[in-house]
Amino acid sequence: MKNMWWKLLGAALILYTLIGGMTIPLKPGLADIIPTAIKTGEKAEFLVIGYNTNFEQSEGLTAWLKADSIRSIEAIKVVPQSATELVATFLLPNDMPNANSFHPLTVVVNSKADGICVLPGQVALQKGVIDTLNTSQWSSIKSLHRKTDFNFPYRNILVETIRNIFYHVPLWFAMAMVFFIGVIYSILNLRNPLVKYDANAVAFTEIGVLLGVLGTITGAIWAKNTWGQYWSWDIKQNMSAIAIMVYLAYFVLRGSFDDREKSARISAVYNIFAFASLIPLLVIIPRMTESLHPGNGGNPGMGGEDLDHTMKYFLYPAFIGWTLLAVWMSNIRARFLILKDKMMLKFNQ
Amino acid sequence: MVQEIIHLIAKEFRLEMRRKHALGGILLYVISSVYIVYAGFFNIPKQSWNAIFWILMLFASINAVAKSFVQENSGSQLYLYQLAHPSAILIAKMIYNAGLLFLIGILTFVVLSTFTGDQVRDTGMFIGFLALAAIGFSICFTFTAAIASKSNSGTGLLAILSFPVVIPILMSLVKLSANALGLIMDSSYFTDILNLLAIDAMMLALTFLLFPYLWRD
Repeated sequence: MKNMWWKLLGAALILYTLIGGMTIPLKPGLADIIPTAIKTGEKAEFLVIGYNTNFEQSEGLTAWLKADSIRSIEAIKVVPQSATELVATFLLPNDMPNANSFHPLTVVVNSKADGICVLPGQVALQKGVIDTLNTSQWSSIKSLHRKTDFNFPYRNILVETIRNIFYHVPLWFAMAMVFFIGVIYSILNLRNPLVKYDANAVAFTEIGVLLGVLGTITGAIWAKNTWGQYWSWDIKQNMSAIAIMVYLAYFVLRGSFDDREKSARISAVYNIFAFASLIPLLVIIPRMTESLHPGNGGNPGMGGEDLDHTMKYFLYPAFIGWTLLAVWMSNIRARFLILKDKMMLKFNQ
Repeated sequence: MVQEIIHLIAKEFRLEMRRKHALGGILLYVISSVYIVYAGFFNIPKQSWNAIFWILMLFASINAVAKSFVQENSGSQLYLYQLAHPSAILIAKMIYNAGLLFLIGILTFVVLSTFTGDQVRDTGMFIGFLALAAIGFSICFTFTAAIASKSNSGTGLLAILSFPVVIPILMSLVKLSANALGLIMDSSYFTDILNLLAIDAMMLALTFLLFPYLWRD
């Protein structure tokens, strides 16, 4: 029982991230707007579709079209149709917000119950006919209600798949950790060839490959929902597939020896070599080329707008939880391998 | 040590000269695969030329390097390890293989260009990248050949072990040679070269750290 605490901690953290990560709702957001093209000087009526919103019983419901930080226009009339639909009427000013002939507008809907909902750059504004009776002017957004409930952020495209960050990213993190521990056992095995070192190196590497496969699968599912395809031959996907191949080669190598001691030594050498080659594969190369994956090819990684503080309460425990679980699994596997080795010795005598 | 290395390189060269059929085999491999490529394509787009060149180069290289450890018998290896320092043997093989791979690269380049027309915009740059490729492939393949030679599976295992590991080097090279072909105009290719050299240096350092555990039986 004395050495159980970290295993229980790992299980508890994973349970916590599973329950919290799956049940906490997203913040209200805007899913769509119709129409998506308007002209200056006209009176435009929009149908705004919300997600997780509560338009009907919202007090202080306002809508804005925002051109930049100081030029916005408030809706003259906002009529909720249902909890997730509202019709907003705008009287657009005669002048364009700047010298361009085309300008993207961001839709902002605000109420006491929903807080600030934003749909960035969805409406295209073009130069229209000047209406002399129109006195509408660009102004800055005033007095927005803020919502402070504990919710995950709403992001267009990501929507509910944002929860995958609690599983996909920690799986890769745990994989790197487990491979690293495996390499340490391989180094120990080279310095002092013992069965327990070899068994641990194999066990940790096996669990690492398992986590890598799971990381690739969760990534593919995420890619299906955000990039459009399970496998889009993105550099990050290719490189992770190759990284798994490097480790599969490790198992092929182990299997090609009859002599146990020799197998342990040579595969330890290859394991260290393979781990070092993982660094250019997963870290350097994807940064050099174009990639859809966050953190690569000039895309922002974790942090900034994408990692809301509410998510950190689950992401960081998930890192620790999955790593502890992976170490636990590897431990069981290593103990099994050591026992198997002892049994073999007994039978051979 | 330097004397040892020079003698060992001379030994590799003399062995190669005695087994001329091995070199002839590589030459035959390059020419016949280029002919197959020619028969299939007639007019190769530059993009494909780049890919095909590196595929030919990769397979020719692995066949050439497989000789160095995998196809030697363990008795003569043991004899050699007693005569010379193991690291000197490794360095000699790497230098010799780098030279051999560079020649194979030039050969593949010449043969492919003769059949499909000279597609390279900047020949000097391309030959420079071939030299970089020879160094990178030599480090990676020589070490994996040393690992593979310890088992009885031979050349097949060498391919399994080395292909995934060589991919970072190969990817950088494909990108660099796209520059020399005029496919992309990237003025900052110098950082790619540095990346490649960094990967080479890392592999080289690991090779020397790990080789002492490898050669002993």
